[in-house]
Amino acid sequence: MNDRFTAIAAEAREGWEASRASGREQVNVCLDTSSLARGGAETLAALQEAVAAKGLNVDIQTTGSWGFCWLEPTVSVRSAAGTRTVLYHSITPDRVEEFVQATLVEAGEFPELALGVVEGAPSDAIGMLDDHPFMQGQIRRLMANCGQIDPENIDHYLANGGYEGFVKSLDMEPEAIIEVMLESGLGGRGGAGFPAGRKWDFLRNATAEPRYLVCNADEGDPGAWVNRILMESDPHLIIEGMLIAAMATNAVEGYIYIRHEYPLSIERMNVAVEQARERGFLGEDVLGSGKTFDLVVFVGAGSYVCGEETGLINSIDGYRGMPRIRPPFPAQAGLWNLPTNVNNVETYANAPLVLRHGAEWWSGVSDDEAKGTKMFTISGAVNQPGCVEIPFGLSVRDLLEKYGGGTPGGAPLKGYQPGGPLSGVLSAEEADLPLTLAPFRDRGLFLGSGGIVFFDETTSVVDLCTYFLSFAEDESCGRCTTCFQGTQRAVEILRRIGNGGGRDSDLDKFEDLIQTMTWSNCLHGSFAMTTVKLALRYFREEFETLIREKRDPTRSLPGMITYEITSPGDPALAEAAAICPTEAIVDAGSRFEIVDELCIRCGACAEVAPSAVTVRDRFV
Amino acid sequence: MAAEPTTRELRELVAEYEFERGHLLPALIEIQERYGYVSPEAIEVLARQMRTTPALVYGAVSFYADFRTEPPPEREIAWCSGPACRILGGDRIREALQHTLGLALDSQSEDGAYGLRLGQCNGTCSEAPQVWLDGEVVGDLTVAKAVAIARDVKGDA
Repeated sequence: MNDRFTAIAAEAREGWEASRASGREQVNVCLDTSSLARGGAETLAALQEAVAAKGLNVDIQTTGSWGFCWLEPTVSVRSAAGTRTVLYHSITPDRVEEFVQATLVEAGEFPELALGVVEGAPSDAIGMLDDHPFMQGQIRRLMANCGQIDPENIDHYLANGGYEGFVKSLDMEPEAIIEVMLESGLGGRGGAGFPAGRKWDFLRNATAEPRYLVCNADEGDPGAWVNRILMESDPHLIIEGMLIAAMATNAVEGYIYIRHEYPLSIERMNVAVEQARERGFLGEDVLGSGKTFDLVVFVGAGSYVCGEETGLINSIDGYRGMPRIRPPFPAQAGLWNLPTNVNNVETYANAPLVLRHGAEWWSGVSDDEAKGTKMFTISGAVNQPGCVEIPFGLSVRDLLEKYGGGTPGGAPLKGYQPGGPLSGVLSAEEADLPLTLAPFRDRGLFLGSGGIVFFDETTSVVDLCTYFLSFAEDESCGRCTTCFQGTQRAVEILRRIGNGGGRDSDLDKFEDLIQTMTWSNCLHGSFAMTTVKLALRYFREEFETLIREKRDPTRSLPGMITYEITSPGDPALAEAAAICPTEAIVDAGSRFEIVDELCIRCGACAEVAPSAVTVRDRFV
Repeated sequence: MAAEPTTRELRELVAEYEFERGHLLPALIEIQERYGYVSPEAIEVLARQMRTTPALVYGAVSFYADFRTEPPPEREIAWCSGPACRILGGDRIREALQHTLGLALDSQSEDGAYGLRLGQCNGTCSEAPQVWLDGEVVGDLTVAKAVAIARDVKGDA
């Protein structure tokens, strides 16, 4: 064991123990982007103010996310004696006063908003957090620190086993590190599932120096935020993973490429890199070992194809983020045409766990063919949009019901998108698929980086196709005609169908496009039509109804509906007329009417006067 | 945010950046953070510093959605284009915002008072459907609420 590390870790642990034995209550406020969006910063300020005003002697600190995104801001309170911690939810600024009164002034509890007991014994009013329906069955390894430590304090990470995996790897030969990684079976978490150990071995065997590592933190798939949760809650886990990869591959520099939509992730990763450097984990002569590795946090500027590894490399190199033609692969010619390994955030984050606990422990979490745990975010037509960590193999339906809380109002599920705009859509009849790689691969798509988006019967599949293809069109880099023209053509046809101009021949045209676009250089083009391909397989009838009957069964496509006033005397209509953005609702003396030519089908009137406005089929 | 950049200021701002070290994007981001946009002048200065052509720098500016080539509006609504928002009615919100403001996505009023932008998902899907009003998430929107926000931003509430 490295002596310098032993000293650093011992000091961190002492500080951690001392702060926990301070004899003061500890209040931990979750502050990630989801919490900020729900007023987390105001809650923190209100807590600090209330504590100061009442002259309470309490430690307040910030943590990352527990994954209860829909119930933020979450706040935990640890008793002064240090024997009991309870996690609470929805502590909005207006609840802070009574919350402080109950938990801190009276040193009691606040069962109304309690999620569960984190440490200590359950009571009649508050059960254990692990027994909370959202936590049951979750196995939190990557997320072990999430919500529990201050992500901007390296000592918290060190006091909880942090950097131990890396220090082990310091004493190992690169071959031995790769062997452990291969033994674990860790597959890339960006979507493809390629064995991380093999990828690292390519770099180890490269013939040129220097070598680089890249962490793909672009998390471009809209609807996925697992990487954000990790970066904002436990950034050192990612740094440690990259350090282990560096030891296995003799890389000397790494880049963490973060999308600009994640300002808090950028800030926290920068703080973590700075702290790691101060403690000697990064830079020259890492922990006195003679080895060199340093990290740069690199901020993207808005481009989906930069999530493709060679597009990302071009972006750092200073060019437009256009994916390269392969070979050569990054392991031969990556950053500055030198050997480079690119992995996803979650892939690197697993490496410390493998090294700390061994490959057998790591892969033993389930019998599934895909090893280890996986983080998923749940969104769309669900009651509980949040983030979970579970072993591979749970069914999609269980994810929705157990963790997503089902659909709003219990509406029948229509389908889901398993992993980003290129991964396609599946219907509810495929909701019993286990969340692992093989079944999705068998169906011509892939389980992506972890963002599962659900939709119910109110969503039009043609609208979803139009959305995903417009996205692919917008984000096409422009290299391959198949991709940039193919997506354009697909959008044109989809829009025409959605406006009532569909033709029977359109379905054949889609087949042509599906085939042609697979000849694109990168995944962006070759997978862009996956949504349409699968929509035609699972929802063909909906396309046919639109094309042949000129009718949208969901009555949601703007081009297929009209709004009609069915009770012209309804008093709510005055408000509807006032909110209409195009002044399409006119007061014709004693009654209101909708001027169809002005109506943009935004539905604002139906929101404010639901009993007076009816949606009708436009062509039927 | 500083006013119109001068050539000397720009040169000083980018003096430490080197193309060979992957500094093109960081330099552009710094310029935009300082001035709010990347001016033609800034593209020329940066190209000289990077020992490359203005065409290559402009290529990057136009490729990445985040860079602006004109000063940002005083107030801005960014409409989230993500899937959770879409499924929960986001596209009707877009339509209403565009008509209320009289703007297409990624454009602004002639006087620069307000603008509308296409936003990419930031993973706060628990707030869907949402917009970001001057950078702050405004979630759980309805079309009617979005219209009210847009009218307020436009100044004719």
